[in-house]
Amino acid sequence: MKQLVRTIVLSDSYAQSSQNSPELEERDPYNRLLARQRGIRLPAELIRDNALTVSGLLNPEIGGRSVKPYQPAGYYQHLNFPRRKYAEDLNENQYRRGLYTHWQRTFLHPSMKAFDAPAREECTMVRESSSTPLQALVLLNDPSFVEAAKALAAESEDILDMFERALTRRPTAAEVAVLEELLASEESRFAADAEAVGQLLGVGMKGVSADQRSQLAAKTSVARGILNLQETITRY
Amino acid sequence: MNPYFLDHLKRRTFLENSFTGIGAVALAGLLGRQESLGAPSGIPEAKSGTGILGEKRHRPVKVKRVIHLCMAGGQSHLESFDYKPKLAELDGKPMPASFTKGQQLAQLQKQAGKLKCMGPQFEFTKSGKSGQEISNVFPHLQKVADEIAIIRSMQTEQINHDPAHTFMNTGSIIPGRPSMGAWVNYGIGSEAEDLPGYVVLTSEGGGQGQPISSRQWSSGWLPSQYQGVQFQSKGDAVHYVANPPGVSRDAQGELVDSVNKMNRLFGKTRHDPEIEGRIAQYEMAFKMQASVPGLMDVSAEKPETLERYGCQPGDGSYAANCLLARRLAERGVRFIQLYHRGWDHHGGIKANFEKTANLVDQGTAALIRDLKDRGMLEDTLIIFGGEFGRTPMAQGSGRDHHINAFSMFLCGGGVNGGVTHGATDELGYAAMEDPVHVHDLHATMLHLLGIDHLRLTYRFQGRDFRLTDVFGHLIKPVLA
Repeated sequence: MKQLVRTIVLSDSYAQSSQNSPELEERDPYNRLLARQRGIRLPAELIRDNALTVSGLLNPEIGGRSVKPYQPAGYYQHLNFPRRKYAEDLNENQYRRGLYTHWQRTFLHPSMKAFDAPAREECTMVRESSSTPLQALVLLNDPSFVEAAKALAAESEDILDMFERALTRRPTAAEVAVLEELLASEESRFAADAEAVGQLLGVGMKGVSADQRSQLAAKTSVARGILNLQETITRY
Repeated sequence: MNPYFLDHLKRRTFLENSFTGIGAVALAGLLGRQESLGAPSGIPEAKSGTGILGEKRHRPVKVKRVIHLCMAGGQSHLESFDYKPKLAELDGKPMPASFTKGQQLAQLQKQAGKLKCMGPQFEFTKSGKSGQEISNVFPHLQKVADEIAIIRSMQTEQINHDPAHTFMNTGSIIPGRPSMGAWVNYGIGSEAEDLPGYVVLTSEGGGQGQPISSRQWSSGWLPSQYQGVQFQSKGDAVHYVANPPGVSRDAQGELVDSVNKMNRLFGKTRHDPEIEGRIAQYEMAFKMQASVPGLMDVSAEKPETLERYGCQPGDGSYAANCLLARRLAERGVRFIQLYHRGWDHHGGIKANFEKTANLVDQGTAALIRDLKDRGMLEDTLIIFGGEFGRTPMAQGSGRDHHINAFSMFLCGGGVNGGVTHGATDELGYAAMEDPVHVHDLHATMLHLLGIDHLRLTYRFQGRDFRLTDVFGHLIKPVLA
């Protein structure tokens, strides 16, 4: 088995670039000849791991008990029985890999569910890879991802640095223009609204120490954008 | 599963070189075939929310939307809509071998040769002016008997839950094809601008709650914007629907806009069809952030309405989902699917069937009446029934899965209320008179929506696929 896997992953076919082209698309629309790789959206757990990793929040500890990341308040009141309370981990366990997320029987964490983690009601050989508005809502609004954006913003020098940390490539000029426009707009918004700055930077259990708080809030918005990109959640 | 098979599914269709909107994706599959689709000459309108048929339809439009009430697990026809006095007579006696010889059975297969009849567990009453026979465990449905057209001669091809649901949803037993809700949205779009065109709700209770895979509401190889979106039936319908603290709606809008711009730039170099879908999903997510709170706010519902449904809003019950279905219908959602998981009565059918029936009877009847009072029943099609039926033979104190006969009912615009269509043999084993296949149900549903099932096609892997594959006949006697 090991040898088979080795042969597969060391093959030229496996190493094909996922860069598609109109020519390839036309000559071999279903990729029967494997002249290219296809983009694979990351599975639920890895989407979380990726955000934690690029933001520097990840706690790489291995093994141990399950952990409890932020979860919408009141979610557990809909468990049938017995009554359970969900107490978020307010320590470094908050930043463990998605793999360790507490799994209450078939009642899984809503962000995992949105990204097609199975409810374990039946054996699942291949996970779905859907694309739904619910996924957008998770990446936009789940405090785990907002906090990761805040940390990514705090860790990075500027938006170029942020982009490279998340996508391991330099942005194109057109991409920079979009991000700079967003940054400028957010800067003026937060400069005029100290309360909003405090609220956004207050997401998550980790505080940030920054002199230019409104600047950090604006960068956090840009980081949220970057964590929401298709390229960020897809293995190309 | 062969990964290349999945790859084919993801490729969806030949893509044009340029990405000028999701419509372009659909268009690529349509080039040169507008005529057969009845689309206007030239380029079909590509704006989001409009199906490929646009305003044009092949048939008179009888209904605007579909509400599919799926009795998941396999509701027994013998305890609901198909009364069999002969089966009552033979209760406990051997099942005549002539019925079952050489037939595929599910769990009862190993008992072949020792099969015993089980009589109907409940009395039936001829209900309404039409006198349709409905089991006494559905007192509320009995009161709307004249609104519904009962089909007693349904047949399907799959004897296990998951493939049978797949067949009911996609017209194929092979996973990976689009669900009927996706087909309908692909064909005629949705009228809901700020909610998905295909919404799914689930509830359970009264019996073994067999799992339902999200694959059942997949868009298959149709563009992913058409796939069903599952809302929570308890608590918040949609998690993470509120902005993070300190982020205004304007700010969120600007952020979403930037994400979509970035994805568009990336899409230009990538030629990945998933990217256009992702952009559409971000647009919808942003709209849902404004629309979902209003959808769930039932404070304006009259107390009589809640009493009629017999539920507390958001309590996760089937009845609460029925109320939500009406609210979704009002907001223009094209295809609404409710699954009640609780009909898999292999054992203890007498007690458990009654329990499950109690959970769905009132809500279903309330939905029918509520829609009628609001003048919406006339442009809504309600489809009620399970993925298969159950055996006339006993499986201990229950009944096994059964595909040769089961019952469903249709209700709403263009449907002949009060009609019973088709019949099974004297023991309810097989559909004998006017058998209705799942493909026929699909053809009829599309017909009522103004779509000719032969002409709604999508080219995939070199073939024009239809929801009805190469089958499907209209169930004419139930059409008004």
